[in-house]
Parts: sequence; structure tokens; C-alpha cells
Amino acid sequence: MKARINLIWPPILIGALFLLAWQALVVIQDLKPYLLPAPSLIFTTFTSNLSLMVETGIYTATTAALGLVFGTLVGILLAMVAQRFFVFRNLMIPIAAGIAAVPIVALTPILNNMFDITSRTPRVLITAIVVFFPIFVNVYRGLTAVPPVQLELLRSLSATPRTVLRVLRIPNALPFFFTGLKVAAPLAVIAALVAEYFGGPQEGLGSKIAASAANTAYGRAWAYVVVAIIVGLAFYLITLALERVATPWAGRTRSA
Amino acid sequence: MASGTSTTGRRVKQGLISLGWALAGVVIAILLWEGVKLLGAVVTLPFETSDQAMPHVWTIAQGALQPEVRGSDTPVWMTVLIAALYTLLIAFGGFIIGVSVGLLLAVIMQRFAFMERGLLPFVIASQTVPLIALAPLIVGIGNRISFGPFQWGQTQSIMFIAAYLAFFPLSVGALRGLKAATPTQLELMRSYAASPRSTLWKLRFPASVPYLVPALKVSAAAAVVGTVVAQISTGGRGGIGRLIIEYARETTAQPAKVYIAVIGAILVGLIAAGLVALLDLYLTRNLPKEKLT
Amino acid sequence: MSEFAVHAEGVWKVFNEGAANEVTALSDVSLDVRKGEFVSLIGPSGCGKSTLLRVIADLTSASRGTVEVAGMTPQKAREDHQYGIAFQQAALLDWRTVRRNVELPLELAGWDKAKRQARALELLDMVQLHDFAESRPWELSGGMQQRVAIARSLATDPEILLMDEPFGALDEMTRERMQNELLRIAGATGTSVIFVTHSIPEAVYLSNRVVVMSPRPGRITHVVDVPLGDRNEDTRESDAFFEAVTAVREALRGRAKPVGEGGARLAETS
Repeated sequence: MKARINLIWPPILIGALFLLAWQALVVIQDLKPYLLPAPSLIFTTFTSNLSLMVETGIYTATTAALGLVFGTLVGILLAMVAQRFFVFRNLMIPIAAGIAAVPIVALTPILNNMFDITSRTPRVLITAIVVFFPIFVNVYRGLTAVPPVQLELLRSLSATPRTVLRVLRIPNALPFFFTGLKVAAPLAVIAALVAEYFGGPQEGLGSKIAASAANTAYGRAWAYVVVAIIVGLAFYLITLALERVATPWAGRTRSA
Repeated sequence: MASGTSTTGRRVKQGLISLGWALAGVVIAILLWEGVKLLGAVVTLPFETSDQAMPHVWTIAQGALQPEVRGSDTPVWMTVLIAALYTLLIAFGGFIIGVSVGLLLAVIMQRFAFMERGLLPFVIASQTVPLIALAPLIVGIGNRISFGPFQWGQTQSIMFIAAYLAFFPLSVGALRGLKAATPTQLELMRSYAASPRSTLWKLRFPASVPYLVPALKVSAAAAVVGTVVAQISTGGRGGIGRLIIEYARETTAQPAKVYIAVIGAILVGLIAAGLVALLDLYLTRNLPKEKLT
Repeated sequence: MSEFAVHAEGVWKVFNEGAANEVTALSDVSLDVRKGEFVSLIGPSGCGKSTLLRVIADLTSASRGTVEVAGMTPQKAREDHQYGIAFQQAALLDWRTVRRNVELPLELAGWDKAKRQARALELLDMVQLHDFAESRPWELSGGMQQRVAIARSLATDPEILLMDEPFGALDEMTRERMQNELLRIAGATGTSVIFVTHSIPEAVYLSNRVVVMSPRPGRITHVVDVPLGDRNEDTRESDAFFEAVTAVREALRGRAKPVGEGGARLAETS
């Protein structure tokens, strides 16, 4: 417990100092809000519009969550298929690498045309595609990185591929899955946010940030950014909690 | 005895095979596209399959050859290509800056343990700020800064955003890589009374390559995404992001144009990935197969 | 005292002194190694043999006591490249050719390119790996990699060779071959060797003296002389060899009479 406290206080202290320095800079240099608003201004804007902030945050968070769930399910499913079927694997690997390398959000206008632009469907789909890659790569790695010794053991027991999947591969893949989920969750929030820059319903964080910036209401724009950070952190922390519940034996310092 | 070049040769062959599968994937995708359109004409699908929402593949190809603006000489594909190359250039600039900063931070954090304790939380925290979302704000601030005769413009802000997104994966990967030398190797260097700098150049950097390479791939992709998205949200002049937005407005009249622009953006990402793959081949030319990710 | 390659007197090494997990790795250890002598350190895990080697190599410092290596402090000896070292892992650098691996200590000692290259090839010749100079480490077998590591440890022509179970990861046949190689090279160059091992036959075959150590706290309990003379292929099957092995084994079991009291002191022996 003491060790954990020791880890937490330095960043909190430095964060607090950072905010103080920021506030001091704005006041001393008399910076106008359109250049850099003071933390105090952001805070007051935030609290005076609290219900709007929460609503907006929830809107984007819902999009992100839907995309996250959908993308995760597809990622897991395709990873299992890729592990089992050679041809599919060879197709998927370059496609997955391609998805990782290109700006997926650029596809939003196309999806806006194909799907109803007045709904959140195009954004959910974009988020799902963005989320797909880290999940797919990590689950695939987890399903295939079983020690050969264990595979030989099950083979000697005449186990079917499905049994091997159930008994060996899936348990082995769980930690890998969470590694991928920890990357995918904050990514989902950002993707959902950025997808809102392409038009469509204006109720989300992305739309509001762009609109506030366009109207030079910079205090409000930064307040929405704070909401985005909070939502991103919340997604990450929920993922951590899920991981702790599902794999309580996982080491604290497990890294990707 | 076999030398390093055969490993490189083998990897190039593997890359080409992968490319072959990728092309097969593209062909399958095109077939799926047309197939879905055919299906959509017969069955009600949850999305639009009309020629306006999903132009035929050949319509898109034709649209690439049309003049960009009525009466102009430049075909669409050329405008898109120029914008793509310009975007690639900005992304590259951001990538170089991000990688340099990331490497520098990693070296400092590895060398001085207290710097790692102090800096690493910040490095991680920097990524909780969705800078991509802040792009309009960053550009707004940037437009008002000037260093003497040098005016900080929109392009510089976009490059800054790309660099910001690129430095983190590289910094984390490089730090892990610099620490990857085995204790025995480190004891060996100490037995030779090697200075920290010699140990860095002769041991830590070469040993970090297997960790640097995946980080470089992620950084390159992040730089591209950052550049394109920043261009979209700020209307970056001359960039592919802006073209996508512009053409998206014209889908009623010319549905094919936005597809070409999106393909252009995808190409930027693929070219960047290809360049990093070449860098990868060069950096790992002396390593055995097992070390490669 | 520079008649001795290594002179250690009253050496103590305590880890985490004063804390709950305090460990006395070395307690009042004294050892003298004459020039050209081959001395093995043997004992169960935790007896301090590797720690003693590392103190001599200045890879860790003694808590108390005096250590002189080639007549100087361990730190100066390390900085002056007075010893070569080889570990259980060959620790060759994958991205360098075999020759450039052998050149590594010479690079760090500031030798110029032509001299380094010549010396590296000379050393590879000595371990009969001349044909593999431009190969990569991962193309070589375990035994071959260790030969490269040994060649590398002799790069600066040091007076002293420190070895920490260098043959531990090799199979028995390769081990015996490597032991012969090592004796041949050490004999030819007149190098003093301090050799840490787990294997009784290995210690007896290689050494003039076998130093038996014991854990908790780490200390020297016995020193067994091995008067076997020049080794040849019959040595391992001779009665004298068997007697020496038995003597060491008895010492390890604590049945032989220990030398001295409360941590052996051995200044000079026969």
C-alpha cells in the first residue's frame, strides 16, 4: 500500500505544480483566452455548464463504447478464424498491417454516404475499425503463442482443435487480450471524437470542440477537452478494473 | 558460411509474398464491393448501395481521370497525388522531430534513473491529452506566435501535432530497447572499463533495434494519422485532409471524387509504412531471424 | 606483493547490510594465486564463489578487506585491462561478426584498426576458429561461441583470466574438449586462471589447487592440492585423478579436516 502511494504522489504533485505554473503564466503575461485560457477560466466554464458538459461527454462516450464492443467482438472472432485457417491468416496479416498504417478516420465521409449521416452509425463503425487492429493483433498473438510443449501434450491426448482452443489457447490469450484492450479503449474515445469532425449530429465532444473553436469560445473548447480527457481516462480505468477481475494473477508490470 | 545478406534476401521474399496476399485481398475487396451492390439491388440492406453512395469501381477509376474543376486541366488523380505527397512530407517532418525527441528522452531516462522516475509519468500523461482533438486550438494558438521574422503557420502546427503523436511510442519502445542488454553483456562492458557513452553506442543502441523497429512503425502511422486529421479539422491548405472534406461536399454531383481522395490518404499511410519497412530491413540486416518481430 | 597474480586478505562481502534481508556472501576470505597458477573455486549455491570472482574483477566491491590484482587495486586492474573475463553465457554481440566480437575489448582499449584486426585473427587462430572470423555468432554452436568468448578474454594479453562457469551450458563431450583447449592456451600464454565451477571432475582436471567453499556465510573451508602434473588423455582415468576427485568431494561434504580455523587463511601452500 505504501509503495502504491509513493508511486502516485509525485505525478499528482507535479500535475498540481503544472497547473499553478500555467495559471501564473496567464496572469503574469496577461494572455488573452484566444491564446491560452487560464485553468481557472476553464474550471469556471466547466462548472457553470456542467450538465451540458456531462451530456456531451456521454454522447461521445456512448459512440465510443458501441464501437469498442463491436470492434472487439469482430477482432476476437477474426483472430480465432485466423489462428485456425491458414489462408485466412495470410490474407488478414497484410490487411491488419494496412489498417494500422492508414488514417481510418478518413473513411468517415464514405461511411456517411453509405449509412445514415444523421445517426451515429458511421462513427460507431469507424471506431470499430480503429479498435479492431490492436484487439486482433493481440488476441491472435495470444491464441498462437502457446508453448509447443503444451500443444504436444494435448495432441498426445487426442484433443480436437476445439478442445485445444478451449483448454489452452483461450486462457493463454486472456492477458494478451487485455493488453490490446488497454490500447483500444482510449483509442476508441479519440476515434469517436475525431469522427465527429466530418459532419452529422453535433451533440458530441468533437463537434462541440470544433464549433467552440470556430466561435472563438476558447474557454468552452478547452473545457470540452477536459471532458474528453476524463472520458478517455475512465475508459482506461474501467479496462484496468476488468483486467484485475478477469486475470487477478496478472503481474502489475505486465507490458505490451 | 552464410552471411547476413541471405537473411535480408529471405525477408524481401517474405515481404513480396505478403504483398501478393495483400493484392489478393484487394481483389477480393473489389469483388465484395460489386457483389454487395448487386445484392443491394435485390435485397434491402441496412445501408445505401446506390451508385451515389457506393459508386462502381470503374466509376471511381473514371472519376480519377476527370478534370478536377470544370474547365481546369488538372485531372483529379493528379490533384490528389500532389496533396498526398505534400501531406506525406509534413508527416515525415513530424515523424523525424517526434523520433528525435523520443530517442533523446529515452537515452536520458535510461542513463539517469531519477530522470526516468520524473519524466516517464509525463511522457505517459502526454498521451491522455487527445491532441488530435485539440488540433483547431493548437492551430489557433500557433497562428499567433512568431519567432522574430519566422511566422509560425498552420503547417508548422500540423507538423507539431504529428510530432507529438509520434514521439510517445518511440520513447517507450526506445527506453525498453535501451534496457534490453543482458546483465552479462553489461558486466562484460564494465570489465572493459567502458564509459557510459561507449556502452550506449556499442551495446545498448544495437541491442535496442528489435524494440525500435515496431515502435518506428507505430510512430510513422501516428504521424500520418495526426497530419491527416489535423488537416481535416483545420482545413489545412494543400493537404489531403482538406481535399477529403471538400470532395465530401460534392458527393451529390460527383460521388467518385471523395473516394479518390480517401484512397490518396490511404496511400500516404501505406507509403509511410513501406518506407519504415525499408528502414527496418536496413537496421536489422545483421540480426538473426529469431530476433525479428 | 606483485609476485602474486591475485592477493585477497580478510575479504568480507555483505549485501543489504543492516536490513532484514542481509546476506553475508563472503566472510573473512583470504586467497593467494601465484603467477601461472590455475585455481578453481568450487562449492554449492550461495557459497560466494561467483561473488569472490566479481570482487576480484571489480564488478562489485568488497565490504571489508584487501584485494590486490596484478599488484594493483581491482579498480585500477580493471581500468588497465589487466584481466580477461568469461561468463557462462558467451555474451557475443549478435550484430557483429565473430572477428569484430573479439576486437571489442581492443576497441575499448583504444587500439587502432589494423592492429585490432591482426590481433583478433591471431586469437581466433589460437582457438582454431580462423575460418569463422567473418561468420555471425548465431551461426556457431555453443562450444564454438564459448571459444570465441575465450579468445576475446585473451585479447589484451592479460596476466589473469577470470572465468565463471564458462562451460556450464555445454554438453559433456564438448566440455572435455574445451577443458583441454583451455589448458593448452593458458599454458602457452602463462596466464593465471581463477575458474569457478560446479563440477568436481572439471575442477580437478584443470587446476593446480581446488578451493572448496561453503555457504551461509560464504567462506573457504578447504584447499585441495592437485599434483597431477601435465594432463593428457589418460589423466581422467588414472587412480591419482580419482583420488583427487574423492578428496574434493569429501571436502565438499565436510568430512575432510578443514585448513585453519574460522575461515581458512592460506597465504602460501606447497
